[in-house]
Amino acid sequence: MNPINDLLKILSDFVAGIVSGIFAFSPFLADLVTMGLAAVILCTFAALSFMGLTYVERKVVARIQDRLGPNQAGPFGLLQPIADGIKMFTKEDTTPANADRWVYNLAPLVIAIFALTTYAVLPFAPGVVGTNLNVGVFYLIAIGSGSIVAILMAGWGSNNKYALLGAFRTVAQLVGYEVPMLLNVLPVVMMAGSMSLVDIINKQTTLDGNPGIPFIVFFPLSALVFLISGIAETGRSPFDLLEAESEIVAGFHVEYSGMKFALFFLGEYVNALAVAFVFSTFFLGGYAGPILPPYVWLLLKAALIFFIFMWLRGTLPRIRIDQMHNLNWKFFVPVSIVHLVVVMALMKLFVTDPAQAEAFGGILVAPIVQAVILFVASMTVLLVSLAIAARRARVLRLQEEAILEQRRAENLAAARA
Amino acid sequence: MTVQQVLFIVISLVVLGAALFVVTTRNLFRAALMMMLAFFGIAGLFVLLEIGLFAVAQVLIYIGAISILVIFAVMLTRGMQGMVPRNSQAIGAAVTAAIIFAVLLLILGPLRVTIDLARWPVISLFAGNASPREVGGIAWTPADRAIPPVPETYIADFGRALVDLNQYLLPFLLIAFLVDVVLAGAIFIARQRRPAEVIEERRLRAEEDAEEAEAMRRASASPALPEGAVASAVDH
Amino acid sequence: MRTDFAFVGVMLVTAALLMGVALIAAALLRPKKPNKAKLSTYECGMETVGDTWVQFRVQYYVLALVFVVFDIEAILLFPIAVAFNSLTFFAVANVILFIVVLLIALLYAWRKGALDWE
Repeated sequence: MNPINDLLKILSDFVAGIVSGIFAFSPFLADLVTMGLAAVILCTFAALSFMGLTYVERKVVARIQDRLGPNQAGPFGLLQPIADGIKMFTKEDTTPANADRWVYNLAPLVIAIFALTTYAVLPFAPGVVGTNLNVGVFYLIAIGSGSIVAILMAGWGSNNKYALLGAFRTVAQLVGYEVPMLLNVLPVVMMAGSMSLVDIINKQTTLDGNPGIPFIVFFPLSALVFLISGIAETGRSPFDLLEAESEIVAGFHVEYSGMKFALFFLGEYVNALAVAFVFSTFFLGGYAGPILPPYVWLLLKAALIFFIFMWLRGTLPRIRIDQMHNLNWKFFVPVSIVHLVVVMALMKLFVTDPAQAEAFGGILVAPIVQAVILFVASMTVLLVSLAIAARRARVLRLQEEAILEQRRAENLAAARA
Repeated sequence: MTVQQVLFIVISLVVLGAALFVVTTRNLFRAALMMMLAFFGIAGLFVLLEIGLFAVAQVLIYIGAISILVIFAVMLTRGMQGMVPRNSQAIGAAVTAAIIFAVLLLILGPLRVTIDLARWPVISLFAGNASPREVGGIAWTPADRAIPPVPETYIADFGRALVDLNQYLLPFLLIAFLVDVVLAGAIFIARQRRPAEVIEERRLRAEEDAEEAEAMRRASASPALPEGAVASAVDH
Repeated sequence: MRTDFAFVGVMLVTAALLMGVALIAAALLRPKKPNKAKLSTYECGMETVGDTWVQFRVQYYVLALVFVVFDIEAILLFPIAVAFNSLTFFAVANVILFIVVLLIALLYAWRKGALDWE
């Protein structure tokens, strides 16, 4: 056991050993305390990374926008998160008069809780995972689904028209973008043959005679659509039309201030980081990688994805609500379905396992060849659908311009008359 | 008392309490939230039964989709503004519920009953030579309590069963068609109406509301209520 | 298998406790000076008129319904995806039929304008 590589495993075994030593009289309690400690560590990790991420995001977005970002609180503004934290704790809580107390107060708590429980199934290193659920993938999506409830609670509990309207729109967006996420995780599950996250990573490493190809090579379209849906699910830019100050004034959390608002904020960032981790696990191979220790690889990959998130935030303008829905239902969902059918057909036609070829027919190929075939098929579907969409968009744009021209000519004629 | 038993009791109490709250509260939004809590409890029961797949599917579908649909539907029709649904059939409903509960207790519970049709007054004429039958009851001997454990590969087994001609393939394909029909129906109901249709619908709805107001006024004028004097004065 | 979910339960409780502690700490630390303006509903600085009631458009319901349809499809497809490597061609053809039927539903909704917004 290489000490640096397996650092996390050694530490966790050590702590588990101490705890079961203390609680030797009752293995049940020992289990419980170990799990409790693991949960506390995960929650702390998530909360600390939330604080760090707010700082990093502000700095990076500022640099993209050619300005400096926070640099007043401490050297290079490094104490900014602490200043923000103090602010959150000490701001007054202006609860509106007719708000439904229980619902209003519970909503931010529920969002934060659901956001944090996604970390229970993420593998951070070989053997270091909160719990290796054999329905891990499904669990992640269900948790995302469950947090939609809290948004409705927040919107309704605020007793505010605009909060309610914002909550409906947010729920429509989140619910819509769940579908491409579900449809694009299916190829990954098919390839890995299991919904357990550890199995998915193992299939992308060189264990058990696997070729060690990350799934992004097999299914680039799935990776792309999953990434964009993930951004839309967490409500980040360019999909943050529901918190836009100039539009609906912070949407469903307009009546929240102080710590409760901080919990909403924490929920959003923790969710975004979870999406980064999950994408790294599904498509980039998780903690697998040559020389460096596994946890470093995972953090590097997640950091890369999060950097892409921040890059998109600083670069793209906000999307309109009807554009967002059209993009989802008229582009992502049909394309994902077609891609799924194509992948299913190809994966059955070209198999890599000799026993499988014996039993069910199909052409036996080497894993690399299967990867190339799937890559080519995926890219073909992607490019063809982009071409169709571009052509359709061009037709629509020309139509719109024709209508505008006509209206302008009418106005001119009317003005002249 | 093992941990599983304690958990089962706690989760069952949560589910029952939430369900009771749903049917007795006047605040529709809180009822919807408690319904979600009941679904969450049922997911917990699935976990206790060692089928994580269905627990997670329960959360995903019921809490993530159907509860939201219900909230949207209620808000679409009534706006949740102080609506107190009146139930004029409470007694009949209670009797029906008690009967169904007794039947379920008979079928799934520990009692075993022998039915001998030959001894029933009128039915014996048609019963012919039917032998007495034993209905219901699960014999609670220790051997019967041992439930075979869920195999590790239950997800893959379920997947294979879904597409197996001899098992669930037909229901699987029927679900697709059924769901198609549901979607088509909902889209039809929610379509954009032409102006003439809109006027027609508004007229029908106004008629219905007038009828309902009339029925409520008549109900409140019944002698069962103490405000009989005021009601009869209004009833002219 | 059951103990897998035990950790999820522990995680839920731990997250609830930690966030609860944060909320209670904030409740102890912050000032409490309610006045009428602060308690009123926020409407971009203007006074509210009438009850809180929103004109609820039917598109929300139709979108939620389409999502329910695809949700059901997805949870049936997940176990099939897990068992994919041991399915026959016939089985895969049936799965593709299932998916195509739902694609037709989506196309129908598209044609009828149910997927348009505003």
